[in-house]
Amino acid sequence: MLKLGSYPGQRMLSPERLALPDYDYLAQRHVLTYMEDAVCQLLENKEDISQYGIARFFTEYFNSVCQGTHILFREFSFIQATPHNRASFLRAFWRCFRTVGKNGDLLTMKEYHCLLQLLCPDFPLELTQKAARIVLMDDAMDCLMSFSDFLFAFQIQFYYSEFLESVAAIYQDLLSGKNPNTVIVPTSSSGQHRQRPAVGEASLPEGVEASLFSQCLENLCDRHKYSCPPPALVKEVLSNVQRLTFYGFLMALSKHHGINQALGALPDRGDLMHDPAMDEELERLVMRSRLHRTSRQHRATEPGAFGFQRRDKLEAPENMLSASAPTPYPYRWEPRE
Amino acid sequence: MIPGKYRSVSGRATNNVNCGLHLVIQTSSLPEKNKVEFRLNKETSSFPGRLLQHDLERNYSSRQGDHINLVSSSMPSFPILQRSSEEKILYSDRLTLERQKLTVCPVIDGEEHLRLLNFQHNFITRIQNISNLQRLIFLDLYDNQIEEISGLSTLRSLRVLLLGKNRIKKISNLENLKSLDVLDLHGNQITKIENVNHLCALRVLNLARNLLSHVDNLTGLDSLTELNLRHNQITFVRDVDNLPCLQRLFLSFNNISNFESVCCLADSASLSDITFDGNPIAQESWYKHTVLQNMMQLRQLDMKRVTEEERRMASLVAKKEEEKKRESHKQSLLKEKKRLTINNVARKWDLQQHRVTSIATNQDRKDTDSPSQDSCQMDGSTISAFPEETGPLDPVLTNALQGLSVTDTHLVEVEGDTLSLYGSGALESLDRNWSVQTAGMVTTVSFTFIEFDEIVQVLPKLKMKFPNSLHLKFKETNLVMLQQFNALAQLRRIDQLTIDPQGNPVVNFTLWKYYVLFRLSHFSMQKINGTEVTQNDMIMAERLFGILAHVASSELPQYRVISILGDARKKQFRYLQETKGKKPGIVNEENNDSKRLVGENTNRAMLNYTTRDFYNEKLEEIKEKKKFCQMYIEDLVKEATEINKKNEALQKLWPQMFIELVRDAVIEIRSKNSYMKLCLQQITDQK
Repeated sequence: MLKLGSYPGQRMLSPERLALPDYDYLAQRHVLTYMEDAVCQLLENKEDISQYGIARFFTEYFNSVCQGTHILFREFSFIQATPHNRASFLRAFWRCFRTVGKNGDLLTMKEYHCLLQLLCPDFPLELTQKAARIVLMDDAMDCLMSFSDFLFAFQIQFYYSEFLESVAAIYQDLLSGKNPNTVIVPTSSSGQHRQRPAVGEASLPEGVEASLFSQCLENLCDRHKYSCPPPALVKEVLSNVQRLTFYGFLMALSKHHGINQALGALPDRGDLMHDPAMDEELERLVMRSRLHRTSRQHRATEPGAFGFQRRDKLEAPENMLSASAPTPYPYRWEPRE
Repeated sequence: MIPGKYRSVSGRATNNVNCGLHLVIQTSSLPEKNKVEFRLNKETSSFPGRLLQHDLERNYSSRQGDHINLVSSSMPSFPILQRSSEEKILYSDRLTLERQKLTVCPVIDGEEHLRLLNFQHNFITRIQNISNLQRLIFLDLYDNQIEEISGLSTLRSLRVLLLGKNRIKKISNLENLKSLDVLDLHGNQITKIENVNHLCALRVLNLARNLLSHVDNLTGLDSLTELNLRHNQITFVRDVDNLPCLQRLFLSFNNISNFESVCCLADSASLSDITFDGNPIAQESWYKHTVLQNMMQLRQLDMKRVTEEERRMASLVAKKEEEKKRESHKQSLLKEKKRLTINNVARKWDLQQHRVTSIATNQDRKDTDSPSQDSCQMDGSTISAFPEETGPLDPVLTNALQGLSVTDTHLVEVEGDTLSLYGSGALESLDRNWSVQTAGMVTTVSFTFIEFDEIVQVLPKLKMKFPNSLHLKFKETNLVMLQQFNALAQLRRIDQLTIDPQGNPVVNFTLWKYYVLFRLSHFSMQKINGTEVTQNDMIMAERLFGILAHVASSELPQYRVISILGDARKKQFRYLQETKGKKPGIVNEENNDSKRLVGENTNRAMLNYTTRDFYNEKLEEIKEKKKFCQMYIEDLVKEATEINKKNEALQKLWPQMFIELVRDAVIEIRSKNSYMKLCLQQITDQK
């Protein structure tokens, strides 16, 4: 359709950016997607929106796009449409279900899928399955996974899904002995290449050679300009090992701090359970529900009776309930490209 | 033992020396005489005899008088009996040979007028040598060793035949005894009643203490008044209704265990006296009134008079039993139908769930439908038994099962406080006019073999028609997503929820209960799947999912909030309007209701569930709009880019254009005169 530009990693007012032809610019920033969606939403909810004005609607809409809340309870096709949407979705999932992870429950792939469906009713099962495969190294698919493992793997799978597909294809080629980059690879490695098919299936657990793989990926990154992890980091991942399998590579990607930060959706692994503002809000909710219930059932309970990590409980009990007005959005999240 | 009437009034055998035997027979059918007397005298007489005589003399001379003379006959074993002429004259018609240790019947000469012959208490094995006594009326062979009835064929006048306590195995050779009035065969080994059908004068038949196992073949006994069958092994009785005169029937101490085996007694109009004691049937609780009920003509039962009171009780009890039996039969029939229907529904559900090859399964379904249709004996027509439709019912019926419509494809059943629905067709029954009483009593609703998505669509109806339903049960309803529980929030109240693991994969998820508690927290549920909900559970649920609700409510833009809420409300109204027509009053009511609900739980209300089909429908609808939007935006973009291009082009060209403009202007003004002329001309041209 539209020809994609070829300028990665740009700043706001860089000259290259301004020099882009108009369509390319629009496409790269996915402006049209949001415009179309905004108008569509407007059409759908004409009667309701006409109450308080179209200008206000647009303001709210784009505000929510910036805040990352526009993907809540939307259909999968929209969530998948832009990298920003995907990142927002990941972040929303983290925020909503961080408590589940904090509780220490290990869940199966299907259960995580259920949780995903709570936010997006038609989320496809294959994506969740692929994410689970990364965690479980393509082994028993009914195994339990921890929240953080799953979340990071899911991030890689969902955000970079097209990229991963190409990588999978390359990996298969390499495994079967075909080299997609015969021109570039020097003759020494091509010798190695030809030996590989003799080893055949036995070499599967060992995967492919890292350096060769790395070069192929570099070429891939050059060709694909959308949602590709920073090539430097990819190289870093691959430089640490001699050989690696497909899922080993993905697992390494998911565990890499740099890539996570480059994506910008989720906090670091260590801080995953940490969200003081939300915890505060949660305490308030719990307190309110408890009072509500005791007033109906005259039952006293002991707080803290369950084995539950409470890192942020400090001021919460003193903060007695104010009105049930929702708290204002504590901070804005800047999307990164 | 012969019946009392016929028992001889006498002393014991040892005392025969002094007294005579006095035998009195009273028979009403004997026209000639009322009494036949029989007396023995003490006359002695001596006989020249042979071996036997010698024995006999030895035996008898000590005890009795020698009033009986037994001489040997030409045949070696038969003694010949001769009496003195005096005796013959005195007792010409009777002869007693009791306890004479006879082993054979002696030949009795010259006694052709004999009417009464007594051979009691001997050892006689065969009836013989009495063929000449053709006037014999009374023959007593009680307590002998006779094995076969024979030698009676000439005794055409015989009226009383006493063969009790012998060894007779078969009733036979009675053909010519057509005048027989009393036949006593008690204490023998008879196994079968036979060869008595010609005895049309017989009034008393005693077959007690034999080996009879059943009673039949009693035809032809047109005069029989009394039939004694005590102490046998009788299990069933037949042909008694063919005895027109039978009044007394004694069946004590047999093996009768139910009334059906003696049901012919009910048809006998003449019976007035019957005994069953000592039978298994007499031990049953229903014995008395069953017998009385079936034999209204009875006057005595087990030798006790039947009172009016007893009769009344009997008929009442019998009626009640009949009712109960009918009821239980009906119920078991209903239960069977229900079971078959549920099986059918289950089968259909399985096919639906494993829908792989549609053609094959369609055929299967057709095949499985037809046999079940046959067995159900219904053709999709409904059998309704609403309490309010039928008339006043037995208390027994209303307390028990209130089965409702039963068809092949679904089943709806109300049992006390539970409404059970099997199969998706059952959901339509919610449209019916339920009586307020029935609907009010229902507190539990159970869904089986129905897709949850279909149930969701009728929840508003459920809310309206069964306002007291507090406990919902789901089994085999395809609950797979946590999100589906959101749909239950629209109900008024739920106290208990039971999700059967069978057919509901969602139960396999560890957190499902917490999610339910969280989403439906405004119901304050008491129990989930039978276990009590504790405060800790609620707190845990809130902890796990509270942020989700918070995010859903506070971070969604306002227009989304309104649209989601509006969607939910619109859906509810759609169903209401479909059923009730557009009544603004009702719509407002529902509006308030849902508003109230929303007010309770602003943050939860965002979490809705739209059924998959509905969702896809919506997405389809949106496609059109999306296309339009795309085109519209494209146009806008095109316009914008064109304008942008023009702008850019203008930017590029502007310096040049500006210079030209200035140059043109300067060139124009260069010569003042010509410029003035030009201006004037321009002004005039304007006119």
